[in-house]
Amino acid sequence: MYELFFQKFQEKVPLTDEEQEQIKAYLTPKKLRKRQYLLQEGEVCKAIAFVERGALREYSVDNGSEHILQFAIEGWTISDLFSFLTGEQATYNIDALEDAELVLITKGAHEELLKKQPKYETYMRLLITGAYIALQRRLTSNISLPVEERYTSFTEMYPDIAQRVPQHMIASFMGVKPETLSRIRKKMADRK
Amino acid sequence: MQTIAIIGASGNMGSGISKSLSKGNYRLLLCASGQDKVQAVVEEIKSGNPAADVEAIDCSVEASWEADIIVMAVPFAVEKEVAQKIQEVANQKVVISISNPLNDTYNGLVTAPDTSAAEELQKLLPNAKVVKAFNTTFAADFTTPVIAGQQADAFIAGNDEEALQTVSELVSTAGFNPIIAGDLAVSRTLERMQLLLIQLTMKYDYNWLAGWKILHQ
Repeated sequence: MYELFFQKFQEKVPLTDEEQEQIKAYLTPKKLRKRQYLLQEGEVCKAIAFVERGALREYSVDNGSEHILQFAIEGWTISDLFSFLTGEQATYNIDALEDAELVLITKGAHEELLKKQPKYETYMRLLITGAYIALQRRLTSNISLPVEERYTSFTEMYPDIAQRVPQHMIASFMGVKPETLSRIRKKMADRK
Repeated sequence: MQTIAIIGASGNMGSGISKSLSKGNYRLLLCASGQDKVQAVVEEIKSGNPAADVEAIDCSVEASWEADIIVMAVPFAVEKEVAQKIQEVANQKVVISISNPLNDTYNGLVTAPDTSAAEELQKLLPNAKVVKAFNTTFAADFTTPVIAGQQADAFIAGNDEEALQTVSELVSTAGFNPIIAGDLAVSRTLERMQLLLIQLTMKYDYNWLAGWKILHQ
């Protein structure tokens, strides 16, 4: 139920058995079925979700079209951090692309753990700085590289996601029309 | 949308709670040992409200794992067994204790005076947020929460502020007037209040449709 969560935790910050038990007491195990929402725009994001199993996406909607900000598969975390930290309404939706098993850290649990367990604070800092770096890279690639190159690097960096997620969602993640991505994929296939 | 697991959903109280909560914006997972009976409750809810998000699920662990809120609609005597099963998946979740630990003759409680069914459940589920609720309302009150022109009060007790608010919303959805009575230890009083109401109901034949109403200025 928490295996991967603690495996990832220990990769960054080693824990004693007691520390692990102490942290475990604050975690919420939660199952989500395919297409169910973890968060809907307008609600307050009450938890950070760690994915033990399954796949989720985070997206915004404008004029009926979806823009995918992030995917999360096993070992990743996902949340609307702005809403989680401020208590303001979420601007994103998060739903399950596959049946999922999650470990949730609620706002209350997060605050308690920050106070009580310095190793949790270290882990969170590393997690969020890591996510920040990933975001910087994604932004740079989005504003400077041609679509074809971006698609290639995405499939190389995240082969699992490229396999498991429908193409139109990958197009949305890249900010291109599904037809554009399909044309690029065809061109790449022809070249091989 | 929050998911609520109702364990013991085919019983009088469990089905009453399920039916009244199906009016709200919740996803309900109805769980009981007799699948036929629980399926019948699902059908009944759906026939009255086809849009209700409700389904039967045969495993209390699976239901609790999916849920954000767990309603323990089982008799006090089997709470321990259920709690042991769901202990791990109930971590940090709101668990509602509805039971009254009555003895066989309904003239006393089986719990010691310095504890309550709710506090015993909290000991079994140390990392859950146990809240006492729906214990001072009879099953029939769920179809008729307004009795003799008065909306019945429904008392809530617990130690977690956010959990109390969550349960307060459920109580309102069910049609009762929610009153937060205090911390979980107040359950001792609430469980004894229902002992009195049961005794009075039997003595004066209230036909199991009765409730509490605090009169105040």
